[in-house]
Amino acid sequence: MIATHLRIGFRNIIKNKSFLALNAGGLIIGLTAVLLISLWVHSELSFNKSLTNYNDIAYVMQNITEGDEIRSYDTQPMQLAPVLRENYGNHFKYVATSTRDGRFDITYNEKILSIKGRFAEPDLTALLDLKMIVGNRDALTDISSVLISKNTAVTLFGIQDPIGKSFSFSPSMKVKVAGVYEDLSDNSSFDDMGFIAPWNLLKTTQGYEEKLGWGNFWFVVYTQLFDGTTTTKVSTLIKDIRKKHYPENTRESRMYLYPMSKWHLYSEFENGVSVGGRITNVTVFSIIGLFILLLACINFMNLSTANALKRTKEVGVRKTLGSSRKQLIMQFFTESIVIILFSFCIALVLAFILLPTFNTITLKEITIPFTEFSFWGVSLVIIVATAILSSLYPSIYLSGFKPVKVLKGLTSTNKNAVNIRKTLIVAQFTISGILIIGILTIMAQIDHAKDRPLGYNKDLLVSVPINSQKVRQSFEVIKSELLASKFIKQVTASNVTITKTNSTNGGDFDWKDKDPAMEPEFYTVRATHGFGEMIDWEILEGRDFSSDFPSDSLAFVANETAIKYMGLENPVGEYVRWNKNGNYKIIGVVKDMVTLSPFDPVVPSLYVLSQERFLNHVNIKIASSDSAIEGAITKMKAVFLKHNPENLFTYRFLDEQYQENFEEENRIAKLIGLFAIVAIFISCLGVLGLSTYMAIQRKKEIGIRKVLGASIQSIWQLLSKQFLVLVMISLIIAIPLGYYLASQWLEGYSYRININFGIISLAGIIVLGITLLTVSFQVIKVAIANPVNSLRSE
Amino acid sequence: MLLELNNASRIIKSGGKKITLLDDINLTVEEGEFISLMGPSGSGKSTLLNCIGMLDNFTEGNYQFLDELVEQMKEKQRAKLYKEYIGFVFQAYHLIDELTVYENIETPLLYKSIKSSERKALVGDILDRFNIVGKKDLFPTQLSGGQQQLVGIARALIGKPKLILADEPTGNLNSKQSEEIMQLFSTLNKEGVTIIQATHSETNASYGSRIINLLDGSIVTD
Repeated sequence: MIATHLRIGFRNIIKNKSFLALNAGGLIIGLTAVLLISLWVHSELSFNKSLTNYNDIAYVMQNITEGDEIRSYDTQPMQLAPVLRENYGNHFKYVATSTRDGRFDITYNEKILSIKGRFAEPDLTALLDLKMIVGNRDALTDISSVLISKNTAVTLFGIQDPIGKSFSFSPSMKVKVAGVYEDLSDNSSFDDMGFIAPWNLLKTTQGYEEKLGWGNFWFVVYTQLFDGTTTTKVSTLIKDIRKKHYPENTRESRMYLYPMSKWHLYSEFENGVSVGGRITNVTVFSIIGLFILLLACINFMNLSTANALKRTKEVGVRKTLGSSRKQLIMQFFTESIVIILFSFCIALVLAFILLPTFNTITLKEITIPFTEFSFWGVSLVIIVATAILSSLYPSIYLSGFKPVKVLKGLTSTNKNAVNIRKTLIVAQFTISGILIIGILTIMAQIDHAKDRPLGYNKDLLVSVPINSQKVRQSFEVIKSELLASKFIKQVTASNVTITKTNSTNGGDFDWKDKDPAMEPEFYTVRATHGFGEMIDWEILEGRDFSSDFPSDSLAFVANETAIKYMGLENPVGEYVRWNKNGNYKIIGVVKDMVTLSPFDPVVPSLYVLSQERFLNHVNIKIASSDSAIEGAITKMKAVFLKHNPENLFTYRFLDEQYQENFEEENRIAKLIGLFAIVAIFISCLGVLGLSTYMAIQRKKEIGIRKVLGASIQSIWQLLSKQFLVLVMISLIIAIPLGYYLASQWLEGYSYRININFGIISLAGIIVLGITLLTVSFQVIKVAIANPVNSLRSE
Repeated sequence: MLLELNNASRIIKSGGKKITLLDDINLTVEEGEFISLMGPSGSGKSTLLNCIGMLDNFTEGNYQFLDELVEQMKEKQRAKLYKEYIGFVFQAYHLIDELTVYENIETPLLYKSIKSSERKALVGDILDRFNIVGKKDLFPTQLSGGQQQLVGIARALIGKPKLILADEPTGNLNSKQSEEIMQLFSTLNKEGVTIIQATHSETNASYGSRIINLLDGSIVTD
């Protein structure tokens, strides 16, 4: 019996190609989207899970109260790890201080390469359970040893045996390869960790012991707990460590462990509490995935029941031949399953083909886990869910026809079925409407931020990171050498780049009439002379720094926000005391500039002339003439390599760096846009199906109307009206829902648009327009048909 | 006795009014009879056939089929009964367009859960007998009307029913094809199959052993 069903199912599919195209087409596109989303969600949820000790690993965090705000730091002072080991050793299997994930220039055989890696205490290797290919993972106890990943081994040494080879981070930091480990999973926090070098080497060569105290949070402290204890338990034990060891700082603080399972998805903190992070995207995309699956199923239901008209006779005949209803349901169900399986297979192929593009958009390295049992399990769940959602109702509906009626040729206009189909169409367009409002909001928000006036000019500005003491010391020489080129207009140096002024100083500031309870914090930009002129800032009051005033070494230029923050009426000439550094005179007020994310408010910033040791970037303004960029870069490369041959020469255009602010939003916009198109496309297929059904149903009526003199246009109106009503209902539901969800999303941005009438009406026009277009496609075909044909066929 | 109707009526409501489709029918059908139902359009021939075939219900009166009271049965039992004993032949043939001749004939056997080998034999026999072996892989649309009806009858017969209900079986056929079909019915009847046909044609009715005239839902002459 099943074999027969299958055979007939196949035959039906081949016979009704257009129906198949509509029905399976929607399903294939829907399933492809669902597969991609599922793979992405799975990848997000399984982040770091490939690490053996996933459940027991945590890093230390601390919450510090600064003013009326609690800030959370995931980096710690270097003094912390020894305390944890000594005083709380019975809870921790391993504690390891490590630098953050970063790039280092490695010199090997005259070659310089920039490779990502960490300096870490030896226990990190055991904590991560590194799988060694050669060598011993305990080798890091020796200060001159290094462990490298397989990838790094190939990059540095090719096919040569890496063991015993040595390379250097700087002339004073030479290491010898003691082992090679398997690269860690792409989908983890340690994905491209190319090497682990001894922490002690960094500490001693950089003189951290003398330089860094409990107030410098520079490092990550990884821990692995013993079985049987929990992060919550240990967190209560360690919460006061900072107070105990750093009594001179009075700010309220709390230390705690943050488990690995939360690192990736819950990385955002607000006022000391985790407020989510990427988990929002996971939720949003899961919901979109479900929506799309639902849409595809609704579509399938709609088209199947509409197509049922053609099969009423078959149902009637089969019943008189002795088929029970159950057997008919089975038959139709089998046919649906055939289509669903067929669609799933094609969707799988499509997903496979699209995956590289999808990975580029999502910045992931997802592969389809064909060999994993769980993948096929989930696939089965998707198929079964699709089958039940999409086929159960049509099967029951189809099998319910009364043979006497259908054999007499009475195609029962089942009011119920029509209403259900209409409801489903409304559901489809509601979902599409919400997605359209969403994508329009995101796009408008991105444009809004892109159009935000910056207050400075970032064009033709290049920044070169300073990664050696030599460059710092010889800055003035470098500057004059660079300026010798006609392609280079200005040269300055600063601690941060103007597009990312993320260096702050908190606490010990004082000025006239300062609220004693206030614990101020300023963003501080330290730069050499000419910085403001170079970025073309606008001084509102007072003056810029000038070499004519030697006293400017103790002077601030403050932005408007900082003046408001301090509450100064006549700021120019006022003094601000900054730690033990002394009293700084405010010499000028500069117009607010967007120096962080354009989605965020302007921060209170102080500009100060820099001492040599704080310089981290050389800023270069290129002249605006033909081939100036090329000429300037060549010159820069020559100059920097001359003064700093140990490091790679790298540079960034600041307008490119600024664009990075939009990357995350652009990515989400692309994805949601893509899925919105999928949703709309599927909905259109549904409308096409329903309008086809309606056209068949009303063929006779249309014929009679035409004989009576109706114009094509009037028939078009007659038939389209019904759909307009449905779309209107969808919009009435979608607009408030979409508005609510979009507002929720916008809440995350302080510099944001208001969802306006424009967005809402544009969404409405898009949905209406697309529907009318789809309906007209079918309706006009019927409307221009010769009535003689339709009347004869009755 | 194959079936018996006692005061059987079918009354439906339409637009608030009661419409009597069948009015107080009393009828006994013995095995081996060949009955022709005659009467003008709307006299209730088809309704009576449908009710006898259990596709429709009488709303009043008794209907006994093989000594069982049909109106007391559940849908399932009824379906089982007609699956076992009744074959239908339609004016418009009602072959399933998606299935070949062979598969159309085979379908009732599938619903009776008959084994594949046995099905093959049964279908083969009947194709042979109706002389349509050469057409078994064709689809209905590739056949003439007469051939389609032949397949329709073969399909009705495959389950070895006691009773064949034929609603205007030759209504769409020309006279030559009609004659062939009626000859076939005659032969079948002689082999013991009970036949009830509804027809407009006096000629066709004359093949039967008994003619019942209907008018406005009542039996006028028997």
